[in-house]
Amino acid sequence: MTHETAYRLHDLKFRYSEQFLLDVPSLEIEKGSSVGFAGPNGSGKTTLLKILAFLEKRYEGHLLFDGTDAREIGEEARTKVTYLLQDPYLLKRSVYENVAWGLKVRGERHGLRERVYEALDWVGLDPKTYASRRWNEISGGEAKRAALASRLVLKTEVLILDEPTANVDRKSAIGIRNAIERIRAEDGVTLIIASHDEVWLHEISESVLRVSGGKIVGRGADNIIHGPWRPDGRDLWTKTLSDGQAIFGVGPPTDDGIAVLDPSSIIISNSRPAGMSARNILKGVVAHMWEDGGSEKLRVEVEVSGAAFLCLITRFAADDLRLLPGKEVWIVFKASSMQWYRPESLF
Amino acid sequence: MGYITGGFLKAFQLLGTGDPETYSAVFTTLKVSSLSIAASLIIGIPAGFFLGYREFRGKRQVRTFVDTLLALPTVVVGLLVYAFISRRGPFGNLGMLFTIPGIAVAQTVLVTPIVVSLTATAIEGLDERMRVTLVTLGADRFRIALASLKEAQFAVLAAAVTAYGRAISEVGVSMMIGGNIKWHTRTITTAIALETGKGEFSMGIALGIVLLLLAFIVNWGLIMLKKRA
Repeated sequence: MTHETAYRLHDLKFRYSEQFLLDVPSLEIEKGSSVGFAGPNGSGKTTLLKILAFLEKRYEGHLLFDGTDAREIGEEARTKVTYLLQDPYLLKRSVYENVAWGLKVRGERHGLRERVYEALDWVGLDPKTYASRRWNEISGGEAKRAALASRLVLKTEVLILDEPTANVDRKSAIGIRNAIERIRAEDGVTLIIASHDEVWLHEISESVLRVSGGKIVGRGADNIIHGPWRPDGRDLWTKTLSDGQAIFGVGPPTDDGIAVLDPSSIIISNSRPAGMSARNILKGVVAHMWEDGGSEKLRVEVEVSGAAFLCLITRFAADDLRLLPGKEVWIVFKASSMQWYRPESLF
Repeated sequence: MGYITGGFLKAFQLLGTGDPETYSAVFTTLKVSSLSIAASLIIGIPAGFFLGYREFRGKRQVRTFVDTLLALPTVVVGLLVYAFISRRGPFGNLGMLFTIPGIAVAQTVLVTPIVVSLTATAIEGLDERMRVTLVTLGADRFRIALASLKEAQFAVLAAAVTAYGRAISEVGVSMMIGGNIKWHTRTITTAIALETGKGEFSMGIALGIVLLLLAFIVNWGLIMLKKRA
C-alpha cells in the first residue's frame, strides 16, 4: 500500500538567534495521517507548525507540500492548510461573522448559515446563543472554540492546531477535543497538533514526535532526558536532579547530550529494590495512568523530582503493584538502556 | 459681573430668535469644517494606513515628520497658505483668498497630519495575531488590508473626530485666510475674537455656547468611539 505525502521536510533549519536553531534533517507527514508534537515550552513546536502552515518562510532547506516547494506555493494550495494559534484572535465582529469570514473570503457563500451553525455545533457552542454574540461577549475558552470553528468550517485538507486545549476551561477543552476527534473521523483530514496534553495527544495521533531544543528527538512516547552530564569517574556519566537523586548513563556524545529512554525499559517497584545491577533507582510518585491505545498495557507517568518518566507496563503488573495516582514508587532502569539522540537514527 | 450675566441672557435671546448674523457664523463654520474634514479624511486615511501598514526605507523619518506637523501653529499654516493663494502666489489665479474654499484648504493642511498620524498609530497597534489569523483563513493581501482597516475602524473614526475638533476650534487660519468677512467668511471663532475686541460680549457668548456644544458633541463621540475601539 502506498501513501501520498502531504509534507516532506529535508534539511530544514530555522535560526532564532545565535543560540537556538530549529533543525529538522528529515520528516514526512502522510496525507490523512495525524501527527502530534510533544515537548516543553520553547522547544520549537510552534515555529515548526508555523513553517508547515506557510506562515514562516525564513528557513533554510526544503519544505515540500503536495510535492511543491512551499516557497513557490500558489494561492489555491495555500488555502488547503489552516492553522489555529495557541492564543487565537477573533475579529471584532460577531461569532457568526468570525466563523463565516474564511468561507466568504473563499467565495463559498452557498449554505453559509447552515455551515457556520454546524461548525459552532461541533465545538459545543449553541448557535442560537452564541452566533450573534460579539467577540468581547464570550469567555476565553468560548473564543478558542469559536476560533476552532472558523477553521473547521473551511474543511481544509490540513488542520494545524497549536495547543488547542491549553488555557481553557474544562468544558471548552472537552468541546475542542470532541470537535477535533469528529472532524478527524469524518473527513480524514491531515491533522498536525502540538499539545502538552500527552494523554490526549497519544489518543488522537497516530504518531507523536518529541521536540526538544529545536530538534525532533524521539518518536512515540520515549522519555527525553537532557544534560548536562558529568563523568562520575567509573565510566559512567551522571545528571543530578534537583532533589539530589542522580541519573546514570553510558558515554554521551557530548556533555549536553540528549538521552532517549524507551518507556518499556523502565521497571516500577513498590519498594526500593536492592542488589540489582541497574544503576538508576529513582524515587517518585505516580502522576497519571492511562490505557495504551489498543494494547493490554498501561502507560504510567511517574514524577521524579519534577521530571516526568513515562513507563509502559502490563495491566497485570499495575494491578499487582496496586498502582494509583499519588502512590510513591521506585523506577529502575539500566544506564545502558538510555540511547543518545542522533538525528539520523530517527528517520 | 453684570455685563457677563447680561451677555448670557442676550446670547440665549440671539440663539432663540434665530439671529441671522449669529447663525451665519455657525453655518460658515460647519461648511468650512465639513469641507476640510472630508478632504483630510480622503488624503489622511490612505496615507496613514500606508504609513502604519507598510515597512519601507525612511519610514521612521516620515513618521517623525508627520508627528511634528501635529504641533503646527495655525498662524504658520495661515501664513504659508496665504503666500500660496494670494494674488502674487503660485495659486493666486484661483482666487481662493478670503473664500470658504480657501479656509477649507488651509484647515485641511492643518488637520490632515492628525488623521495621518492617528490612523498610522491605530494600524500599527493592531494585534499581529490578526494578520496571522486572516492569512490562515485564506485571505490575500488586499483582503488583509481591508480587514485591518475594518478592525481599526473605531480608532480611525476617533482620528477623524479629533481632527474635526481641531478644525472647528481653530481661529488663526480662518482669520488670516478668510479675513473674517461678515455674512461671508466669518466663522464662530473669528466672530468671537472680533466681538470680544469690540467689547460686545453677548454675541461672543452665544457663539461660544454653540462652539462648546459642538466641542461637547465631538468629544462625547470621541469617548464613545474610544470605548468601542
